[in-house]
Amino acid sequence: MGQAFSFTNIFGKLWGVNKEIRILILGLDGAGKTTILYRLQMGEVVTTKPTIGFNVETLKYKNITLNIWDLGGQTSIRPYWRCYYNNTSAVIFVVDSTDKDRIDVACKELHTMLKEEELQDSALLVFANKQDQPGAMTAAKVSQALSLTDLKDRSWSIVASSAIKGEGLTEGLDWLMDVIKDEQL
Amino acid sequence: MNSSKPTTASKFNKNFNKVNSILERKLRKFLTGPKKGETFELRNGLVSQYKHERKDAIQRVIQAMTVGKDVSSLFPDVLKNIATYDIEQKKLVYLYLMNYAKTHPELCILAVNTFVQDTEDPNPLIRALAIRTMGCIRVDKMVDYMEVPLTRTLKDESPYVRKTAAICVAKLFDLNSEMCIEFGFLKSLKDLLNDSNPMVVANSINSLYEIRDINQNPDLEIIEINSESVKNFLLCLNECTEWGRITILTTLTEYNSKGRVEEANHIIERIIPQLQHVNPSVVLSSIKAILFHLESLTNKAQKDQILKKLSAPLVSLVSSSIPEAQYVGLKNIRIILEKYPNVLTKELRVFFLKYSDPLYLKLEKLEVMIRLANETNAPLLLSELKEYSMEFEPALIIKAIKSIGSVAIKLSGQVVIKSVTLLNDIIEQRGGELVINQSVIELINILRRYPDKNDIASLIIPIISNHIQELDKNESLSGYIFILGEYPKFFSNLNEKLSALIEEFLEYDSIIQLNILTTIVKINLEYSNQSYSALLQKVLELATKECENADVRDKAYIYWRLLSSNSTPEQQKKILLTKLPPIDSTISEFNPQILEILLKELSTLSSVYHQPSDTFIEKGYTKITTKTDKIEDIKDFAKSEIINNSARDENLLDFDDDEIENEESSGNVNNLLDELNDLFSTPPPQKQTTTNNDIISLFNTTTPATNNTQQQENQRKDINNDLLDLF
Ligand SMILES: Nc1nc2c(ncn2[C@@H]2O[C@H](COP(=O)(O)OP(=O)(O)OP(=O)(O)O)[C@@H](O)[C@H]2O)c(=O)[nH]1
Ligand SMILES: [Mg+2]
Repeated sequence: MGQAFSFTNIFGKLWGVNKEIRILILGLDGAGKTTILYRLQMGEVVTTKPTIGFNVETLKYKNITLNIWDLGGQTSIRPYWRCYYNNTSAVIFVVDSTDKDRIDVACKELHTMLKEEELQDSALLVFANKQDQPGAMTAAKVSQALSLTDLKDRSWSIVASSAIKGEGLTEGLDWLMDVIKDEQL
Repeated sequence: MNSSKPTTASKFNKNFNKVNSILERKLRKFLTGPKKGETFELRNGLVSQYKHERKDAIQRVIQAMTVGKDVSSLFPDVLKNIATYDIEQKKLVYLYLMNYAKTHPELCILAVNTFVQDTEDPNPLIRALAIRTMGCIRVDKMVDYMEVPLTRTLKDESPYVRKTAAICVAKLFDLNSEMCIEFGFLKSLKDLLNDSNPMVVANSINSLYEIRDINQNPDLEIIEINSESVKNFLLCLNECTEWGRITILTTLTEYNSKGRVEEANHIIERIIPQLQHVNPSVVLSSIKAILFHLESLTNKAQKDQILKKLSAPLVSLVSSSIPEAQYVGLKNIRIILEKYPNVLTKELRVFFLKYSDPLYLKLEKLEVMIRLANETNAPLLLSELKEYSMEFEPALIIKAIKSIGSVAIKLSGQVVIKSVTLLNDIIEQRGGELVINQSVIELINILRRYPDKNDIASLIIPIISNHIQELDKNESLSGYIFILGEYPKFFSNLNEKLSALIEEFLEYDSIIQLNILTTIVKINLEYSNQSYSALLQKVLELATKECENADVRDKAYIYWRLLSSNSTPEQQKKILLTKLPPIDSTISEFNPQILEILLKELSTLSSVYHQPSDTFIEKGYTKITTKTDKIEDIKDFAKSEIINNSARDENLLDFDDDEIENEESSGNVNNLLDELNDLFSTPPPQKQTTTNNDIISLFNTTTPATNNTQQQENQRKDINNDLLDLF
């Protein structure tokens, strides 16, 4: 336990070195959250199974240490999202742009989540995912369906993406880093 | 790229507002100040943005947990730390989960993803840890997600993972047996019996045992051992840990090799090297397995050869420096000796008492010693016994004197005379009521072994006569009175002795009164010259008119009527002077069926209790709930419970145990009666003592447990009914 108070640790804390920025990836089941997480971390597409619980990975992006949490999106797991809100700098909300039937559900979940006191300071990045699929809604359509413009007092952005092709992810993350750097200063 | 960006102006505005509100909130947080308390601090640590702080917090949580603090409220936050590449941290979180899963069953689902991933980890330690923890989290929801990881780990390439998964199957079976069977886990577990790794085999057996204990489906065969798996067991035996060996050896006694001499012989050959193991439990389990398969051998010489090999290992059991371990060894030896009395005949000296032995050990050693007695070692044994009778612990003195009696009754010829002289010596040299009473009891027992040998009677009776005044125990006193009636001609001053007894008649316990009655009646028939008729008259009158005990009164009336009836003296003699059959042993023996069970249960608690395990362990779950339909059923159930319990008490008693214990036992039955009365509020029985005796004798005839439980059930029901009739 003594090691926790070691010299480097104390200095690390003072200078903000080693500090991890917490980011949550949320969204309905099958939206592509896990695929995105590992695409970001390993740069490749992994085969996924529905996430019963969560994944968490640490990655360095532009000299910032990110602690990215990918929570399961199944109905039974959504109630536990709230356990993870504390200390969260940003939420990445992933939408399956081909899933028109459930876009309303996604909208409802998104707004319920954003009402939480603990997330008042968090930035929001929405990925309109699966753009590689024919018939996918555009980002503008998704944005509209999610009523993003209603959001007040929050930095937010929506980016069209395809986790499979690796498109849109870095753009989205770049935007997020800018916002976070601004706010953490 | 389709990002919706606000215009620069509005963006600036928005950001400005935002910064404001952020500042405001931070300020508010600052003003309210940080919350205090250990839990609060720990929680902050667990969700810290610094890795080392999280790890530190986990360690502190575990520390608090191990000293018994309730840190269950931190469950969600600890759980967040389960997905980590740091093994140490993972172990700690797993430990926490096992401990507190029950407090947050619904949250456990959040761990599933990590568990499943961990069972695929390249590190076998993590794979095993994951499946073990999953099995230990006994939460229903978890079961739904066990299929994939358990199937995988049961077939894992690492034996460490397989043996861990094997245990997991039993845990799953307990939670959800249908699923366990449906998904083929039980089948996979059975397949593991043929695994190449000994520890996997041992764990699989243990897991199957566990399942067999919980299983409620009578049609489900859990453990099927075939000659194939036996071969594998024998191969594993030498490479197992000691506990694994015990498991395998025990399982070998479940495999019947009857009719296959070759195979039985092979099994025994393979077990024999285990007899040298340092762990006494391995030794004992090996002996058990060997004795079991010995039954299948047909060649007597070969059997004897093998039995000879057991003597040294048996001796090793009593050479331990731990008295408790020695005691267990002795208890087991006593069982083995009863079936194979000759295995240790040359080893008498090993069992001699040591000064430092605790009393319970000394007493048990004596039990073994008397069973080893033979004509050759008798002189040595007797002189040893004499020394013990000079010790100071009363229980030891009594046991030593008893042992002398037992040896005299077991052996014959010179040994008998020697024992009698020895008892006399002890009385003369040591004296004291304790010694005299016990010696007289033994002398009378010896006499009852040889009722027709006048030389022995003329040797023993004078010794008794010399100490009549000191007899103050009911057992010795009634023995003396009995001998008086059997051998009146050997006593001088018969009239005086009888008068003395009649003088005190009303002071004695009823058991003595009954004896006096019988003896005087017998003497009167023996001496038909009427010289004792006055005494007879007096005692009959005392018994019928002044005695309060109904048994004594009844018995006196019976004698009186019989003697005054118009039967001939010959007819009366035939009824009253019938000789008792000679006793042939005062060494207790097991009922043969129980002995067979005990031999199979050597090296378990049964061997220490000397009771089959099903008398003190419920098979499977008690199905009380199924019985509670009617109040009558519950009553019956309660009754049979009580009766069964007391039957067990009764079973615990040794046949040669002394008076005190017998009294205790009847006390138990007495309490039992009271309890029954209280429970069912029936009027108390009129004649407590006789009812007690009846119940005891009932138990005596029924307790020799049959291994057929069904039969036992019925018997118990009978007892039940009989008891009800009594009320
Ligand atoms: N065509 C296409 N398929 C994708 C894309 N992203 C993810 N998928 C697929 O969508 C399926 C679900 O992806 P996951 O990443 O497991 O979804 P998830 O959001 O983690 O789902 P839950 O864990 O159940 O909440 C997988 O078969 C992915 O291969 C994408 O951009 N395009
Ligand atoms: Mg997922």
